[in-house]
Amino acid sequence: MIFALAFLRRHPRVLARLAGWSVLEALPAVLSGQAVARALDHGFLAGRPAAGLGWLGLLAAAILVGAVGTHRTFRCLADLAEPLRDELVEHVVAGTLRRAAIDGGGADRSAVARLTHQVEIVRDTFAGLIMTLRGFLFAITGALVGLASLAPVVALLVAAPLLAGLTVFVAALPRMAARQRAYVLADEDLADHAGRAFAGLRDIVACGAERRMAAEISVPVDAQAAAERAVVRMTATRGISLAVGGWLPLVVVLVATPWLVDRGLTAGAVLGSLIYLLHGVHPALNLLVGGLGGGGVRLVVTLDRILRASSAEPVVPGDPAARPDSADVTLRGVTFSYGRRAEPVVRGLDLDVRDGDHLAIIGPSGIGKSTLVGLLAGTLQPQQGEVRVGGERTGRLDVRTLARHRVLIPQEAYLFTGTLLDNLRYLRPDADVQDIDRAVEAVGLRAVVRRLGGYDAHVTPDALSAGERQLVALTRAYLSPARLVLLDEATCHLDAAGEARAEQAFAARPGALVVVAHRVSSALRASRILLLDGEAATLGTDNSLRGTSPLYRDLVGHWSVEPAGLLGDADRLQPVAGARLAQDR
Amino acid sequence: MSVMDGDRLLIRAVRHGGPWATGLAAAALTASAADLLLPAALGAAVDAVLAPDGHPARWLAVAVGLLVLIAAAEILTDLAAGMSAARATARLRHALVGHIVALDLRVSRRYPPGDLVSRLVSQVPEAGGAAASVVLAGAALVPPLGSLVALTLIDPWLGGTFVGGLMVLALLMRTYVTDAAEATTSYQRTQSDIAARLTEALAGARTIGAAGTVEQEIARVLRPLPSLGRHGGRTWDTIGTAAARGAVVAPLLQLAVVAVAGLALTAGRLTPGALLAALQYAAIGAGLGSVVGVLGRIARARAGSGRIAEVLAAPTHRYGDADLPAGAGRLELRAVTVRTPEGADRPLLDRVDLVVPGGATLAVVGLSGSGKSTLAAVSGRLLDPDEGDVLLDGVPLRHLRAGVLRRAIGYAFARPVLIGDTVGAAIGLGPDSRAPDLLRADARAARVDAVVDRLPAGYDTPLRDAPLSGGEAQRLGVARALRAERLLVLDDATSSLDTVTEYEVYRALVGTADRRTRLVVTHRAGTAARADLVVWLDHGRVRGCAPHDALWPDPRYRALFQAGKG
Repeated sequence: MIFALAFLRRHPRVLARLAGWSVLEALPAVLSGQAVARALDHGFLAGRPAAGLGWLGLLAAAILVGAVGTHRTFRCLADLAEPLRDELVEHVVAGTLRRAAIDGGGADRSAVARLTHQVEIVRDTFAGLIMTLRGFLFAITGALVGLASLAPVVALLVAAPLLAGLTVFVAALPRMAARQRAYVLADEDLADHAGRAFAGLRDIVACGAERRMAAEISVPVDAQAAAERAVVRMTATRGISLAVGGWLPLVVVLVATPWLVDRGLTAGAVLGSLIYLLHGVHPALNLLVGGLGGGGVRLVVTLDRILRASSAEPVVPGDPAARPDSADVTLRGVTFSYGRRAEPVVRGLDLDVRDGDHLAIIGPSGIGKSTLVGLLAGTLQPQQGEVRVGGERTGRLDVRTLARHRVLIPQEAYLFTGTLLDNLRYLRPDADVQDIDRAVEAVGLRAVVRRLGGYDAHVTPDALSAGERQLVALTRAYLSPARLVLLDEATCHLDAAGEARAEQAFAARPGALVVVAHRVSSALRASRILLLDGEAATLGTDNSLRGTSPLYRDLVGHWSVEPAGLLGDADRLQPVAGARLAQDR
Repeated sequence: MSVMDGDRLLIRAVRHGGPWATGLAAAALTASAADLLLPAALGAAVDAVLAPDGHPARWLAVAVGLLVLIAAAEILTDLAAGMSAARATARLRHALVGHIVALDLRVSRRYPPGDLVSRLVSQVPEAGGAAASVVLAGAALVPPLGSLVALTLIDPWLGGTFVGGLMVLALLMRTYVTDAAEATTSYQRTQSDIAARLTEALAGARTIGAAGTVEQEIARVLRPLPSLGRHGGRTWDTIGTAAARGAVVAPLLQLAVVAVAGLALTAGRLTPGALLAALQYAAIGAGLGSVVGVLGRIARARAGSGRIAEVLAAPTHRYGDADLPAGAGRLELRAVTVRTPEGADRPLLDRVDLVVPGGATLAVVGLSGSGKSTLAAVSGRLLDPDEGDVLLDGVPLRHLRAGVLRRAIGYAFARPVLIGDTVGAAIGLGPDSRAPDLLRADARAARVDAVVDRLPAGYDTPLRDAPLSGGEAQRLGVARALRAERLLVLDDATSSLDTVTEYEVYRALVGTADRRTRLVVTHRAGTAARADLVVWLDHGRVRGCAPHDALWPDPRYRALFQAGKG
């Protein structure tokens, strides 16, 4: 709500225009009773039908002018609703991306769809709310002004019950809003429960859990029904405020008419007053009472949801003055875990990676290889110990500075819709064609470039296979100015020969190379091997580890007894439903 | 599904409304009748007040009485409409949920989960509001039609003016041609363009984070935003035009009636009160447009109940009432044939005969599309064969009780969907709850206990807060299946694990203590080598059934394990 109010405060001019056109729109409301009263008193009842028709003609003209006002108010509304939507979209995009960039979260398609949908709800309810409030204010003011000019006494009689009705409504508003809020949340809770269960109908049947799941979903169904009943019960309050504020003035005026007529109120004025009440006050109140409850709460709840879902913690900017003097990485006593109670993924680790090194990291899946790479790259910060690049703590370094010294290519290769050239130059925008050609040859992308039709070809991620995407990402990394290259299973979708070629290209490239090995062949190519087994990290060479580590012997031995050809059995990593599952930590 | 089923469901929904539906009808009709009488009473009261010898008290009392009645009836209408809808909605939802979770998997595969959720969350309320829609539509017709009669009764010219004016205005309005649909389509297209760019960038979050290119990416995603505003502006303009039109039509119609009534007033044929009544009737008559809206609600209710009836009419799993005799888990397939849903193609499984001795491990291999997963599905009755029988320890699976069947057979999949509030609940998914120590034992056997221990709150970690890789999810899926007593079906269930971890999981499953029969669909030669028996499927038929070593000399068999390289 604060967000919406602050937004309105920033657009005073549009609000002024909106008010101006609303005045015009209210013209028929102001004139209606007066015109009919005069048409009767000075026209039809005075035996001058032409004059009567004249007054009615004037009202008709006012109606047409008012319609122009109505049309224009929607333009003003567009000038409010569209910028608000723009701001929200910017907020959502920036927040989601910044947060994903920090915690490496994957692509949650449904979350994106949900956010889009919610932004639209805000746009529509915000517009509806403005139109309701504005419509009520101008219509009721118009009717009261007209009434006061026609019969001031009647206007006074109307004021009290109208105020009473409004008071009842406003007093009940917080409770109404609370119940409406509970209702919206119950609805979402139901959708959430059902969504998770319905995504796994096969699994539910396979586990024989049909009855249990039905019983579990029954809970939110009943909660939703209870919330709905609570909202419905509030309609009584709404009806009462409408009766008091909309109908009671009519009753008061009706009862007072004999007395008013005795005091000289004309037939036309009586009719005019009733028209103001029946066609001005009552509809205006109806609009307010009907439009404010549901839409307003939906706006607040949804806006809150969007702002919370897409808020990113402010990034602590690195120190631009801190300049690493090389790409050498040093880890000292590094401990990292994903939660306070969680078992550390890395514990008290010391490690040095110097220029010219070629290090392979191996270990069973889920043991923390990707986490270690994140620590080396400075995208994760340890709870204890320190990671330094070129003598500077990674936490102090600006992310751009860091990116000039090391490049990280994860398993899920990033490709964006655009030209192949833009994708390749992503990390080095000034690379010329010779540089690119060299990188393409070295990594083994040439065939793909040819298939796509050259560097200027327009590419979409879906048009390339997983292996081809990885080759593009590898070429991009090869081109980058960084001296330290971190490949986190970045070749897992290539066949064994393709993987060997790419890794050899990086090994020959000046600087250091760290590879998280998907196959044992990657490890055998490295000069040093870091073995993670969940308890400890052991650093050695193929020879030394064969001698000291039973796990390593098991790993290598096991891999090597597979029938020939299995080492190339690369495509076992299939895309998994829900992108959060797709990343290996 | 037929309209009949939908309408039958609609009637059921009305009945679910219970006494509230009856109250609703009474209140809505009362309100309509009072609405129709009010203008006449107001007119009579005004005339009585204005007449020098009138007795206004009686007519005023009638008018006030009608107002009170209207206010009360409207409150009651809203209350009854809401309550009957809430009741009917909840009852329909219970029925629908119970049906969906038990749907035959051949059927449920046809519905994307989002579609089922939207039926449950969005369309059930539309059907649940059926009682309200029908009653309100009926009641809403009374005042406009009645007012036309009333206008004609007051003065035939008034009725004529109203009808004539309505036709003239309808003609005028037809000249407006709106491009609402086009503007909306462009708007939605731009919207999904932005969403697609965002999704794309999120898929590369780790790369973007490491490269420090977030701001550049934000700008790229937001590039279509200005044109979104342009299309949006056009949609508002269309709405504004429609609203302006509405602001003209009804008032001008009323004004025309007032003008004709005014002339009759001058001629002495009408009284001022009658003019007021005429104006009110014209206003009510102009409300005929809102009837279209109510009819639209009925149409939506019918459409909604049609979509729900479609799901409710779909077949569910049916179980028998037999128990299992004591046994070691001997699995037998007799001439099992499974056809494709279309039936035209060659069958997915073609007269497959197979016997797996109790306690043995069977590996199922073959190219993709050869029927491996179908074989796995019929072996534990996720799918019923079109012909032939599947027996466990001599009893056809379809004769077994639900609980007996699911306790005997467990499934693990390549892409398990983990269901439950917490990681522990996801492992424990089954016909009944599982003791914590057994859960932990299952997790240990599936080599996933260390992963769970590293999560922020261990087994109590909410599933949505647990960052799981594909391999970790698979191992949780394996752990979940381990409660099975006689037969474990692993359908490519360890494909995301590196070879070492897979070996460890496998070793736990084939441990000497384990006496269960195992059916393992696999792409890996190592797994096939460790099985007691390999069945080699080719286009739905058994091409070979022998130990791995016996099949290995066949080059086409060896080729199975080298296929699909990137």
